[in-house]
Amino acid sequence: MMAELNETIHQPVRLRIMAALVALEAGNEVDFSYLRDLLQVTDGNLGAHLRKLEEAGYISVNKVFVERKPRTFIAATAVGREVFQEHVAALEAILKRK
Amino acid sequence: MNISPTEAEEALAAIQRTMQKTRHSIASSGAYVFLIVTGIVWLVGFLSTQFLSGEIVAYIWIGMSALGSALSILLGTRRGRRVRSPSVNASAKRAGIFWLLLVFYGIATVAIARPTDGKQVTMFVILFVMIGQLAMGLLLSFSSVWWALPITALALVGYFLLPGIFYLWMGVLGGGGMIALALYIRSRW
Repeated sequence: MMAELNETIHQPVRLRIMAALVALEAGNEVDFSYLRDLLQVTDGNLGAHLRKLEEAGYISVNKVFVERKPRTFIAATAVGREVFQEHVAALEAILKRK
Repeated sequence: MNISPTEAEEALAAIQRTMQKTRHSIASSGAYVFLIVTGIVWLVGFLSTQFLSGEIVAYIWIGMSALGSALSILLGTRRGRRVRSPSVNASAKRAGIFWLLLVFYGIATVAIARPTDGKQVTMFVILFVMIGQLAMGLLLSFSSVWWALPITALALVGYFLLPGIFYLWMGVLGGGGMIALALYIRSRW
């Protein structure tokens, strides 16, 4: 069966968010501000795309207090990793057909 | 959903770039920095042991070790603020206890064996530290700890075959080797 493109993931910012999260070891999570700086996007923009990905079940958002300060950590879920790999396979398949 | 091959190519390139940037960013505050810090401590410490004499050598070692420890703690804390790993957090306490016990066993071994010169004490310290590094790698799956094996091999070669220039050997090849390895790890990521 051919892998299919995923519309939620294909949006450029969401694609980069997923690529960054999948590059981490499974189970590891990154700080919101670290991800924002890495992808060079604004707080609002990143927050909106994270909500979409969270609603789809592709990422988990973990809000905690570290040294009495609120912090948000983000990780790719197992489903998110799987869907991302399928999306990459679909992109590669398009290139092979070229 | 349909896209052109050009769009697919651009998307794949963006994925590749982001993944590389993420790994590089994590690596830049990870193992390679610790290797550089330790490498510089060894380079300066061993070279001063080879070429200087008297109390100044002890002061250099104490100063470099304190600086190295402070830098390692600072960098480790900074990295922990950006990336959290539940498996590492859960194991961190055990790893800390392991290192404390290893230091205790190391001191006990040196006290019983009563090494007769500085080279033997140095070798004991190097062997215990490298055993610790290997244990961390094998048990906790920390990356980039395999370097303990070549460093141990270098130390043994220097101790048995080149006793006259042992400290120079350890400074240049041990310390310098760690720095070179760190740069290699960084470029590979």
